[in-house]
Amino acid sequence: MTTTVTGPHREGPRQEREAPPPLPTVPAWRRRLRPYLLSVPAVAIIIGILYPFVLGVYYSFLNYAAVNPNPVWVGLRNFKAVLTAPEFWHSVQVTLVYAVSATAIETVLGIGIALLLNRSSIIGKIFEKVLILPLMIAPVIAAVIWKLMFNPQFGVLNHVLGLGSTFDWLSRDRALWSTVLVDVWIYTPFVAILVLAGVRSLPKEPFEASDVDGAGWFYMFRRLMLPMMWPYILVAVIFRLMDCLKIFDIVYVLTAGGPGNATRTLQVGAFEDSITNLNYSRGSTYMFLLWIIVFAVARYLVSVLGRAQRRAAGAEG
Amino acid sequence: MATLELEGVTTRYGKVVGVEDLELTVGDGEFFVVLGPSGAGKTTTLKSVAGLVDMDAGRVSIGGRDMGGVEPYHRNVAMAFESYALYPQKTVFENLASPLRSGRTGTYDKAEQSKRIELVTTTLGINHLLKRFPRELSNGQRQRVALGRVLVRPADVYLLDEPLSHLDAKLRAAMRAELKQLGEDSSTTSLYVTHDYQEALDLGERIAVLRHGRLVQVGTPEQIWREPADTFVAKALGQPEINLLDGEVTGGRIVAAGGAVSLPVPSGVDVGDRVRVGLRPRDLDRADADPDGGAHRAGAERLHLRGRVHLAERLGRLVELSIEVGDTEIIMVAGSDHAPGEGDVIDMAIDLADVHLFAPGAPGEETARLGSGRPR
Amino acid sequence: MAREMMPGRRRFTAGSVGADLLILLWFVFSLFPIVWMVLLALKTRSQQTSTYFAFSPTLENFGTVMSRRGEDLTSVNFSGALLSSVLNCGGAVLVSLLIGIPAAYAAGRWKYRGSEDLMFQMLSFRFAPELMVVVPLFVIYNQTGLFDTTYGMIWVLQLVTMPLVVWILRSYFQDLSPELEQAALLDGYTRRRAFVMVALPLVRPGIAAAALLAFIFAWNNYVFPLILTDSEATTVTVAVTKFLGGGGQAYYNLTAAAALIGALPPLVLALTIQRYLVRGLSFGAVKA
Repeated sequence: MTTTVTGPHREGPRQEREAPPPLPTVPAWRRRLRPYLLSVPAVAIIIGILYPFVLGVYYSFLNYAAVNPNPVWVGLRNFKAVLTAPEFWHSVQVTLVYAVSATAIETVLGIGIALLLNRSSIIGKIFEKVLILPLMIAPVIAAVIWKLMFNPQFGVLNHVLGLGSTFDWLSRDRALWSTVLVDVWIYTPFVAILVLAGVRSLPKEPFEASDVDGAGWFYMFRRLMLPMMWPYILVAVIFRLMDCLKIFDIVYVLTAGGPGNATRTLQVGAFEDSITNLNYSRGSTYMFLLWIIVFAVARYLVSVLGRAQRRAAGAEG
Repeated sequence: MATLELEGVTTRYGKVVGVEDLELTVGDGEFFVVLGPSGAGKTTTLKSVAGLVDMDAGRVSIGGRDMGGVEPYHRNVAMAFESYALYPQKTVFENLASPLRSGRTGTYDKAEQSKRIELVTTTLGINHLLKRFPRELSNGQRQRVALGRVLVRPADVYLLDEPLSHLDAKLRAAMRAELKQLGEDSSTTSLYVTHDYQEALDLGERIAVLRHGRLVQVGTPEQIWREPADTFVAKALGQPEINLLDGEVTGGRIVAAGGAVSLPVPSGVDVGDRVRVGLRPRDLDRADADPDGGAHRAGAERLHLRGRVHLAERLGRLVELSIEVGDTEIIMVAGSDHAPGEGDVIDMAIDLADVHLFAPGAPGEETARLGSGRPR
Repeated sequence: MAREMMPGRRRFTAGSVGADLLILLWFVFSLFPIVWMVLLALKTRSQQTSTYFAFSPTLENFGTVMSRRGEDLTSVNFSGALLSSVLNCGGAVLVSLLIGIPAAYAAGRWKYRGSEDLMFQMLSFRFAPELMVVVPLFVIYNQTGLFDTTYGMIWVLQLVTMPLVVWILRSYFQDLSPELEQAALLDGYTRRRAFVMVALPLVRPGIAAAALLAFIFAWNNYVFPLILTDSEATTVTVAVTKFLGGGGQAYYNLTAAAALIGALPPLVLALTIQRYLVRGLSFGAVKA
């Protein structure tokens, strides 16, 4: 080897050679632009979807309806009208009752099912495969099935449960709880498979140790498992609560908001106003208010989730 | 074949510094080692050369050509990643053929590809694994495949990121010998990153020592070993670590260890009133037991020490001794024949040329080397 | 990996039997409606309201639902709706993949200004009340002629499919070591070829899972076709509900047969991607 081992080579023998051809270069700004270029189509889609969204917000400040094709700006009049109408507050109440009770029941049942399935029982292994069936059937189709089953005269539920042919599952008093029942039927597996994934990600050692004495099971569950599963549970709760707040399809098919307005959730109400009655502005006002509720709840829950995930990570590591 | 120059290279990850203001020149065909602990910026150095990270400042040139804005695939460099970065969905053969099939490293027909792969896998001892997938290999085998993916192709610069770290001791020694041979045979400029000082001293034609993303010293193995730029470099080289004693300068002498260590202030070394004395465990000889065992230069002036053996730990053919000298403890390594027992008082000596003097500093603070104990 | 179950020390104690009974109870509840739907779909018109479990089964209903005769009886063009569903959902998923994969890759690979905003915006679509968008779209579609067209449906279904695809795939790209692509770059491949050669094959399961899940959700969607289609581009979900309200005469057996046909594709697809389902359903938040 003839090269020197010290000193820069600027005046080395290289000058005798032909100057090599310049290499193609990419300027730094184009390099930095790369991720943006890749995202441009997606951003276009977002803008395309945001446009009607913004338009919807705009509608809520107009008096736009099919009967009034030349709307004018009415300021907050829609909001005033909606917020002072008892039917709106009734819808808020119905929506909250639906969302909170469905989410709560699904969470409790989902955790229970996950824990039961996690035991290495043969029955558990078989059922794990079919667990997700209700979740994957379209909610609307599920609602249609249940509507047929709810039928007082020939519906199979009254027959099997021995309730006779006059028990009305979708009566004014019971309709809301029947819709919640259908929601529970569909979505409990969702919570269950998420929590099951959480249970399976837990380290095994501490639980095997305390497995010996059965009396300590609940203590172990509360003090060891629950904190570590909390992020998984929260993800499930967030998804369920958000979806329940904007529930439409199940309720619309089962009761269309009735009887009367017993199950008139916010999105069902908005549908009635804007599509059935073609009063776009009023419907949009409903939706805008619902959107604010959903957004606020989402923000709060996501921050809770972030904290829980950090804590769980800390507990494990 | 190309020189490699780094001028003022600075690469940060957000606020975290990868490398800061790095100046290096690697000669054409040189086997250049970058030594440093983890987090020193070694990998960042390689990736800056390869163009895999965006530099915040500075210039990299290969073969005299500025690489600013040049995409990695135009730089004609090959890199062995510490994480191997083998394509999991491809067999070993396909992994090795990948650089040959891209069309940017030359054109090779099928036979030529196979020939090159055969050659390099035989050298690396992995030619029986060609049909396997990376997940079916041990870490040591994966590492050799990663190395093979570099060696299989011609390149201006080879970038090798800890390519021997996951091999077992025996294989590592063998591979080190192979690499040394390869470095001497091939004329490819190589930048070799390691945290293992023995590897660095053995393989490197020159060595750069990095710390916290900054260059501490560049030099030949001899220079780095004999004249470490500061206590950091001195500590990085040698196992056990160099003994550092705090000394005071009184009456023209450097006195340390409560008076047990005393040597004249060497002429030509600018010491203040305090100084750190560095003694390498392997440079210390038994002055009493094996006068011919110590490889001290004939006639060299020596520093003599006396101490009580506090702990003796056998390491194969050598013994590591902890010795109470004055009010401090000094580590030395001696041959295990006639090794002293614990509690014995022994005499030691060290060539004044091997006594390193560093500027004074607080514990944990790295300070520059002032010179050796031998008068100039 | 924690995929396997805890090592089984089988003990037939009262507790374990009780637990099995509880789980059995859930699955009776869970499967009963499906079983009953199957039974109903096998009944003749005269049996549909007069029998519960004992009857002479027939497969005739499925043929009727799909045929012209069914349309005459119930005024629901079910086979047409089935075809529309396939076109709408297939088209929507295709568009989402073409647009979503590069975006997911960019968001998974680089930290760039606005990437988190983009992702959050995507997520907010998942949680936004659909009608907020659909009502103005109803007006726009009526003005532009997109009402009741496949193109109109593909466009609006992006609201369902795009967030799913982008979020799931981003989590897959994030899991992929960037050094693999870096190695390909140094092997001499361009960024695009490195992506196609290295990254794409490795996230293929993720792409399959995201695509199928997006298809399922698009298929199961009800609000969009309900409002934005009429007869041409209407979908299975809308068609099934139409059986209930159809022309005064009740054809419950045909309804059940249609429901069964409409429920089958998502079920089959879901079972093929069951391993990836949890990760997909949670938008990549839970990596099971």
